[in-house]
Amino acid sequence: MSSTDPTPGDSFGADPIVYMPFMESSPRARASSVPAAARIASSDRLFDAYRPPPGVPDEIFQASGQPRPEAEYLVDLLEEVGAEELRRRKQLADAAFLTHGITFSVYFEKSGSERIFPFDLIPRPIVAEEWRRVESGLAQRIHALNSFLGDVYGRGRILAEGRIPGEVVDSAHGYHPQLKGIRPPGGVYIHIAGIDLVRGANDELVVLEDNIRVPSGVSYVLENRAVMKRIYPKMFPAIGVRSVDEYPTRLRAALTSVAPKITDRPRIVVLTPGPFNSAYFEHTFLARRMGCELVQPQDLAVWGGRVYVRTTRGPEPVDVIYRRVDDDFLDPLVFRSDSLLGVPGLVDAYARGNVTLANALGNGVGDDKAIYAYVPEMIRFYLGEEPILGQVPTYLCLREDDCRYVLENLDKLVVKSVDEAGGYGMLMGPQASKKEIASFRERIKANPRKYIAQPLIQLSTCPTWTGEGVAPRRVDLRPYVVTGRSSWVLPGGLTRVALREGSYIVNSSQGGGSKDTWVLDGGDR
Amino acid sequence: MIARVAESCFWLHRYMERVEATARLLGVNFSFLLDVPGDGIERWRPLLVVAGVEEEYIERVGSEYLNDEECVQEYLVWSEQNPVSAWNSLCRARESARTIRETISLEAWTTLNRFWLWMKSPESRALYSAEPSTFYERMRENCQLFNGVCNDTLLHEDPFEFMRLGMFLERGAQTARILDTKYHAVGPTGEEAETPVDLGEWIAILRSCSAYEPFFKRSEGSLTGRTVAGFLLLDPAFPRSVTHCLMRAWNFLQLIAGENSETGHRSAGLLVDLLTQMRTKTIDDIIHTGLHAELTSVVDQVTVICRAVEEDYFSGRIPGEEMMRELAIQG
Repeated sequence: MSSTDPTPGDSFGADPIVYMPFMESSPRARASSVPAAARIASSDRLFDAYRPPPGVPDEIFQASGQPRPEAEYLVDLLEEVGAEELRRRKQLADAAFLTHGITFSVYFEKSGSERIFPFDLIPRPIVAEEWRRVESGLAQRIHALNSFLGDVYGRGRILAEGRIPGEVVDSAHGYHPQLKGIRPPGGVYIHIAGIDLVRGANDELVVLEDNIRVPSGVSYVLENRAVMKRIYPKMFPAIGVRSVDEYPTRLRAALTSVAPKITDRPRIVVLTPGPFNSAYFEHTFLARRMGCELVQPQDLAVWGGRVYVRTTRGPEPVDVIYRRVDDDFLDPLVFRSDSLLGVPGLVDAYARGNVTLANALGNGVGDDKAIYAYVPEMIRFYLGEEPILGQVPTYLCLREDDCRYVLENLDKLVVKSVDEAGGYGMLMGPQASKKEIASFRERIKANPRKYIAQPLIQLSTCPTWTGEGVAPRRVDLRPYVVTGRSSWVLPGGLTRVALREGSYIVNSSQGGGSKDTWVLDGGDR
Repeated sequence: MIARVAESCFWLHRYMERVEATARLLGVNFSFLLDVPGDGIERWRPLLVVAGVEEEYIERVGSEYLNDEECVQEYLVWSEQNPVSAWNSLCRARESARTIRETISLEAWTTLNRFWLWMKSPESRALYSAEPSTFYERMRENCQLFNGVCNDTLLHEDPFEFMRLGMFLERGAQTARILDTKYHAVGPTGEEAETPVDLGEWIAILRSCSAYEPFFKRSEGSLTGRTVAGFLLLDPAFPRSVTHCLMRAWNFLQLIAGENSETGHRSAGLLVDLLTQMRTKTIDDIIHTGLHAELTSVVDQVTVICRAVEEDYFSGRIPGEEMMRELAIQG
């Protein structure tokens, strides 16, 4: 597979006015024979006063205030840029995001309310060795989850053998029994996954959450990188950062590989709910970069068990739909009959094997927060392997013992509702008021299936520009896994950062921003 | 191509053409006012008339302001109440572009987005107040830049063809509207001798259409209503003349319809009819029957053609789908 960008000149290439200044003051160009320390005024230094919070792992620094050995060079290079220059480049970067319309729409505000996703110019490095472990751990996890989906919508072996209680599956919000017996083309359910990882107290990256329905954010990974390459042109070759550009090519190839067998040249489309969706920019981005059409539900129709797109020359067949629409709004004949959104008959066409949906239908049962607790068991059951990546201990309130423990320790735990995302429906025990805890106690008692609890994970910090200087902020990491005939992990992923001091909530809807993630190639280029 | 996307392409360029036409009309009105004695004619109302918003303006702003320089400009450029204000047209153009972001080029998108961000910014507002002529010129340049960037960076296939079709149909109608300001400002055009006010108006109209110099290459020094109207309506080579725009629209409609297409007959038929009318008439015929009536008829016919294009290409009907909808409703 070619790793070249399928659309050269795209992604910021056409904006010399904005970017020329970066070129002329690149860090390497200024690193002449004068020693760095001599040229940098102390007020311009970034990291002199930086200390991670006690007991919290940091992505770049050790507790002593020294950089991690593998990040020393990066820290030197950033110091050469200096605070003043960083401030200036930050403004240019923000202006570039705005001009290019790399924004998300803000709901319930006047039209024209588009915001840029706050972006931090200090990258988050990951060393090659750690990344290799993450890569194989993610591929393993997706393999097991995919087998699980095939199983629960097929023979149900794992349930029959009592490895996962049937009631956990039956009561999962994303489980659709009407899909039983439907096997998606190639047996692939999870074409695109975004798995959230966090670094816990033992310094290891562990899985916090699986997103295998409609994970978003990958466009920001690619656009962030494009901006970073302009901002730090010399740093990339100097440090050795793995490229992220081949994502769209990989995705397109994966989708093509699982097209229905009825055609040699499958027509692939990206299905968006429309321009008012907050992730609309990403939908257009993916369609553009894969070179395929972006359609809205009303552009599609089903006739005779085949999906068609309405064109200026009449209906034309569609073979693969990368859909960015939730199950519930895909087909009013099957899911929400109160909703006329969607494409009537789509599920029928899917069931007949005439169209590939990516991701497949019914994946919600696989990333349910209660099912999450059983993923290590799935890995053992389907693959006969031990999980490579750890995950967060999870108490299921539907289990009596767990529930009792949770109710007794609400002030120490994080409680999550199993079917809400985006940081909503959560109780952060250690930071909550007595009243909030009491209210959650009642909610859990009333509906134990709906809640799980986990110990509070001290998310690691990463140095982050605050406008005043550099300070530690909490981060997580969402790598993306693309699966066709086999799985491929995008080197890096979206590092989300909680921009508010002391906050653990990294979601963009609640004051989160992002960073570029640099998987270091460890010299094996 | 997807019918909805084709529709957005078509409208994107129609909206941009409206932005440009408004900037042209307003920008030139200034130079015209400097050239003619003020009292005899209405200065600003004709612009409302040709934009088709006089009635709403009277309702929302008031008839006493019909010739108020500031109010009329404000209404035509910025007003959110005025559906065809330049600002509203630009917002709709941008929204259309955003809806088909995967279809247009990055360069086309950033050109348009930058224009929109500039119009939203305090700088554009300051320029509008301090130097209106420069402001209108900047608007025009942005529109021309957008057209050029689209031409140079998009694949020349269906989406592009729908864009150009929309652009030329709208431009032809806008030229007819601009030409008609003369009627609303100083009265009908006859065959008798014209006053200095008439001539000042004709020059302003030529300038509105970037036609001043091209016109004198054709007219051999004769500046009359007959020669100006003849040029702007009928000259096949002038890029903003009604005839030229219709010819180009016809070229693109043929490309869209293709050789064996079964759709498109109605819009193509209507466009051929109008084009034939334009090419068989002389300017003397037109002035004899009435220039104003001819211009009104052109604008109306273009509206009908645009509707036919929508029916022929954008409805995207699929056989049997009404039945599927029925099933969905019945659950």
